[in-house]
Amino acid sequence: MRQLIAMTVGAMGLLVASAPAIANNFYAEGMAKAKAEDWPAALDLLEQAVTADPNNLRVGTDYRQAVIAAGEYDRCLEFLGKVVADHPEAPNALLNLGFAHVDKIPVEGAITQVILANTALEKFSAALELEETWLLRYTRGNSYLYWPAIFGRTQFGIDDLQRAIDMAKELDSMPYHGRAWAALGDGYWRLEDPAKALATYKEGLALYPDNAELKQRAELDETELTTFLEALFDTNVRVATHLAEIWEAHHANGAR
Amino acid sequence: MLRSNLRRAAVGAICLTSWLASQAVADNRQAAIENTPEPKPESWFEDRTVAAGVAAPHRTRSFKNPYAHIMEGYTALGASAAAADVDGDGFEDVFFTDSSENGKNRLYRNNGDFTFTDVAEEAGLADGNDAANASANSLWFDADNDGDPDLLVVRFGQNLFYENRSEGGEIRFVEVSEKAGLSRYLNCIVAIAFDYDLDTDLDLFLGNYFQPVNLFDPETPRFFPESFETATNGGGATVFRNDGPGEDGIVRFTDVTQAIGIDISGWTLDLGHADADHDGDDDLYVAADFGTDSLFRNNGDGTFTDVSEDAIGIDTKKGMNVDWGDFDGDGLFDIFVTNITDEYMKEGNFMWQNLGELTFTDVGRETGTHSTGWGWAGKFFDFDNDGWLDLYTVNGWVSQSKNPQDNYVLDIFEVIVNPEIDLADARNWPPMGNKTLSGYQRNALFQNQGGTLFKDVGARHGLDTELDARGVALADFDNDGRIDLFVTNSGQPPYLWRNVQPTGRHWLQLVPQGKTSNRDAVGTRVWVHAGDHTSVSFVNGGNGFASQSTRRVHFGLGSEAKIDRVEVAWPSGKTQTFKDIQPDRIYYLVEGAKQLRPFGPQAPVASSQEAK
Repeated sequence: MRQLIAMTVGAMGLLVASAPAIANNFYAEGMAKAKAEDWPAALDLLEQAVTADPNNLRVGTDYRQAVIAAGEYDRCLEFLGKVVADHPEAPNALLNLGFAHVDKIPVEGAITQVILANTALEKFSAALELEETWLLRYTRGNSYLYWPAIFGRTQFGIDDLQRAIDMAKELDSMPYHGRAWAALGDGYWRLEDPAKALATYKEGLALYPDNAELKQRAELDETELTTFLEALFDTNVRVATHLAEIWEAHHANGAR
Repeated sequence: MLRSNLRRAAVGAICLTSWLASQAVADNRQAAIENTPEPKPESWFEDRTVAAGVAAPHRTRSFKNPYAHIMEGYTALGASAAAADVDGDGFEDVFFTDSSENGKNRLYRNNGDFTFTDVAEEAGLADGNDAANASANSLWFDADNDGDPDLLVVRFGQNLFYENRSEGGEIRFVEVSEKAGLSRYLNCIVAIAFDYDLDTDLDLFLGNYFQPVNLFDPETPRFFPESFETATNGGGATVFRNDGPGEDGIVRFTDVTQAIGIDISGWTLDLGHADADHDGDDDLYVAADFGTDSLFRNNGDGTFTDVSEDAIGIDTKKGMNVDWGDFDGDGLFDIFVTNITDEYMKEGNFMWQNLGELTFTDVGRETGTHSTGWGWAGKFFDFDNDGWLDLYTVNGWVSQSKNPQDNYVLDIFEVIVNPEIDLADARNWPPMGNKTLSGYQRNALFQNQGGTLFKDVGARHGLDTELDARGVALADFDNDGRIDLFVTNSGQPPYLWRNVQPTGRHWLQLVPQGKTSNRDAVGTRVWVHAGDHTSVSFVNGGNGFASQSTRRVHFGLGSEAKIDRVEVAWPSGKTQTFKDIQPDRIYYLVEGAKQLRPFGPQAPVASSQEAK
């Protein structure tokens, strides 16, 4: 089991310290520029960091957060598209490219939102074909849930999330693993089974009693849940793709 | 005709007075409404469609060209209604369009007892559909300022313009499109009329959906929208300036579109005008399908400037309707635009709150009016006479199979996510067949809750019907001070809803008549002060999708039984104030006249306090 954990964490590229030194330098400088809100410089430096270490999830993620702040979505899509083309073996580059499509959704019209969301799913699937991780299963599963039930994708999402839950049983328990339970319940709500959704939240809460998403949902009645989830799945609301929970959890566990 | 600074100042003073008054009394107005006894929970509307004799259905067009199976899914339009007092008998009549080949358009003459008689054949107005043209809409407007409404029948194909030559109780129209210069092939879907250049006659603003290709026998398959969000290969808009009658007495129109600065090429679905900045001339909102809506500021010199980016921003939605009204009581005209909101696409309607200085913010979500479905017409009106503008929106595209798998969204999705597809090519769009797209959606009657929020009471009043409605013509068909509705449904019979609301709240209606201004007085703004209550409205020249409402100006007064004064700003620049007016009556409002003239047999006469 320990081997699986190490493999998963390593593949996610969480350990910036293990990345090439040149990437670390660019990353540190880029983050400093981002902190100073010098976005042109920040993006240039962070792109160099990603180029030097394309499968590093954290570098790519922080680059995308700078992109969001700068509103340079098209630049990001073009850049990460090239990174993926140059490094087709890097699942986290694909994951970041998928997230980059998600990041752009709120600033686009309804039809382009559909195209972006569909492309994001394609990238997540491609990443999963390279490597199966809890994060990729959760991410793709959760993404399916944004599609209205008429598109027939909800069950795909439920299958992914169930798989993520099963994978978590083989990993060191992390608070963010509770997210898969929350999303699984959301999937049942999408299938118009709010009772099963609420039961799923409570089941997940028993395993992850500190998970805020599960606590929030478990306290709602069916009507309140619908209101809550309709707002959650509003495509005009930005989806948080900063993965901060993951960094915090691994930092707390001394992974870094 | 250019306007003077003096006139601007006078108009501005009226506006400012009214605005300040309305700001100061908002709380009192709300209190007055809240103190009104709750009425019984019965519906306040009676379905009189059959009893009134207006139940003939609209029929959609079937095409015979190679793209017919695709086109029919995208042309389920043409069910429209336009209200006006055609014969001058004091009762509002209705022109109702059909779209089928050789289908007859109808002129429903109001018999005065809430029944109607179709007199289109005798009037010469029935033949609006043939193999090369399909009726899509219509507009009444007094083009020649002779005191009776002329008619434009808006068509996919070439429009028809009829001059009203009724005499001695006989309704008679003569088709003069070619002589008037209005016979061009346009694929028009909407027309409004207002006097943009303030030269005392009504000019025509036409919105065109498709480019001017022959839809009935197209030479190319590339006549569909090139994009779902930024299409600019539509028909745009065409503006015809009214140049007055020629030697034969027939009004001549000249295309001035480019010259006056209306430069758009999108898929126009609706146009709406109002004086957004109270500077004495009317501005223009363009609602576009598959792309960006536009707001044009009237520069006051016969030209317009596109101020969209600063005023409303750039959108990618599917604008379908434009109506203007002061829903929040701040003295400025706001705009309601329908878009598409469904499970698969949540655009949300726009409720553009006018913030002044030609800036707007969308408060659709905040007011509770953003999510109605696949929206079509949405009209402001005060159905309960409480002094706040309510809103009726009709929704739904095509209601066919109820099998969930027969949802056309699944077909169109395959097109949407394929970037290689040439959308402009009609052959690349999947046929709709018997499938449903945003069907069986209910109409909504939004009751204004005090200027900040609307509550849907459609079900409570039975107006939440789910036919594929398109247009809403509002008029007081029985002159009882309660606004009735004529609702058109695509491929189905219309609804005629009689307003029987029992609150006993007070009201005022004015039938405007320009003298120096255009005879229809389109663009005239009216402020009514009653107690702590000030409302503003204007004479509109056909705003709202697939429907033209009454030209009259209607005010609900709530519990105010006394009207303190009525202020009027005419398009000519003339302003007038009338005092001591009895409520619950209809008056003729004639430009320059010292009194409001009672309408019909009613007695009271209000005295003019000033005429400038």
